[in-house]
Amino acid sequence: MTRPSGFIRNNPVAAVLIGLCPAAAVTGRVIDALWMSLGLVFVLVLTRVSEAILRGLNKAPSGQRPSRPEPLRHTQSSQSLTAGWLGRLFLASCFTASFEVILQAFAPDESASLGIYVSLIAINCIVLDRVSEQRALGAPKATGTEILRALQDSIAVGAGFAVSLMVISLVREVLGAGTITLFPVGSFGGTVVVGNVSLEPARALIYTGGGFLCLGYLAGVARLLGHVRRREREQSRPEAGPV
Amino acid sequence: MLVVSPAPHVGGLSSTRRLNWSVACCLLPAAAWGVFLFGVPALSVLGVALGASLAAELLAALAWRRVTLADGSAAVTGLLVGMLMPPGVPLYVPAVASAFAIIIVKQSFGGLGRNWMNPALGGVVFALFSWANAMNSWLPARGVAAGTGVLPPLNALRAALTGAKSAHRGALAVLGASSYPWSAADGRVVAWINTHILSLAGWSLPGGVFDMLVGNIPGRIGDVSVPLLFLGAAYLLGRRVIRWQVPVTYLVTFCVAAQIFGGLPMGCGWGTGGALFQLFSGSLVLGAFFMATDPVTSPLTGTGKLLYGMCLGVLSFFLRYFGSGGDGVPLAIVLGNCVVPVIDRFAQPRVGSPGKAAAG
Repeated sequence: MTRPSGFIRNNPVAAVLIGLCPAAAVTGRVIDALWMSLGLVFVLVLTRVSEAILRGLNKAPSGQRPSRPEPLRHTQSSQSLTAGWLGRLFLASCFTASFEVILQAFAPDESASLGIYVSLIAINCIVLDRVSEQRALGAPKATGTEILRALQDSIAVGAGFAVSLMVISLVREVLGAGTITLFPVGSFGGTVVVGNVSLEPARALIYTGGGFLCLGYLAGVARLLGHVRRREREQSRPEAGPV
Repeated sequence: MLVVSPAPHVGGLSSTRRLNWSVACCLLPAAAWGVFLFGVPALSVLGVALGASLAAELLAALAWRRVTLADGSAAVTGLLVGMLMPPGVPLYVPAVASAFAIIIVKQSFGGLGRNWMNPALGGVVFALFSWANAMNSWLPARGVAAGTGVLPPLNALRAALTGAKSAHRGALAVLGASSYPWSAADGRVVAWINTHILSLAGWSLPGGVFDMLVGNIPGRIGDVSVPLLFLGAAYLLGRRVIRWQVPVTYLVTFCVAAQIFGGLPMGCGWGTGGALFQLFSGSLVLGAFFMATDPVTSPLTGTGKLLYGMCLGVLSFFLRYFGSGGDGVPLAIVLGNCVVPVIDRFAQPRVGSPGKAAAG
């Protein structure tokens, strides 16, 4: 069993460059990024785990069951492909709607601030990408290992998304507004004011263009670090002469 | 002195280094005029912009191990950033704008020659979006009494025209009616011309003509003196450092559009835009000759340059008349930079079709 790579090596935002819409749109405040990440993890984990559990209940027509389960898009007929996607999107939208209702109930201000981006989690590129990696509809019932693996992978990808959003939103909010907006806890009002920057912040970073700028630098730094690490590994490897 | 060098044996201003330094020298008269008008604050803004630009270039040189300080491009960028700042701006604005220009706009994309946006304009637009209030801190020009009015003519005209949609006789008349503080020298010169020359024909000039022509007006440090900018540009054009296509089509398109349609948003008829006033105010001339012609971020072929100039003229017109404020030139050129690759693709001379190849 391989370790899930979604956190660093295949980080959805910084390495694979998917899910960029929320990464540019809701990273103006740290709290927005936090809730958005939470919503994505919630939807992704529940969709994939419930999909893995429910899969076995669907009895495939005899003869169509693939002997070796492959990713959905390669093996299935168009009919079961459609059915599979419909089922998955149905699950994803159910959980997204649940999250939206929860958000409206417990954090109404945040719900207003995130706006349409909460509903859009259902068709978020990351959700679609990870869900499409799962096995075909007619595959045999998922084993415990598979469910565990789906859970691990979802959490890794979700955490990767969350960390990217945190980094972008921290840079944008600190430099662009001079504040860090968090939860109000006890006597702490929820907003950290960053001394001198808050007097005349670089407001250009709060605009969506500033979001894309930070996004580009995050992806660039990620590539740079990956490049450096790869080169070091190649240099440390002993020279393999012609045999 | 005998110099032995490999081919090609081409004389003249051809190396990047000499081109950049000659551009910097041609900018100096207009910058010096700004310092003369606004005094020490202008000098410190220019110095901070230049210093930050060179420091950022040095930093980038250390990071990328590619020392490019001597090619003069950082000096031109720093000078242009300083010249596009209002003289009363707090000093962190030119510093950040210069650093942004060099590190983000130029070096991050691979250094000089690989940047798709003019670095100086990128920095200035970043500052415009970030510190809109600081970018509106004007100082009175030398000849005007302090405190009586520090808005540049364009901003003053905009302020005078909000709400009042009545027929008028040109921008200078409007400014005169709203008691815009033209300098005492302007009053004397215009009165002398009116009484001694123009009264014979029954004409008269509105106040402010002399100030506008000479550049004795509040404005950004580098763009107040249009004659000195023209002087520098004439040298560069003569030495073929810059080509005529972009500035000429840019200015002509803008002036034609301004003259025809410029009166409409102010409630006047067609053809009453006052193109000359628009030409002499704001950073149009500075932008057209010194930033739109940037060889890195403008099209390669002659046809492309003509198209690009027209594009910039139209964009500047819309941004100046219908934008949220400012003179529209920096944003127009930055937007124009974005379409340069497309223009280059369409204006490419085609191999094997002589008619089109000649257009390049």
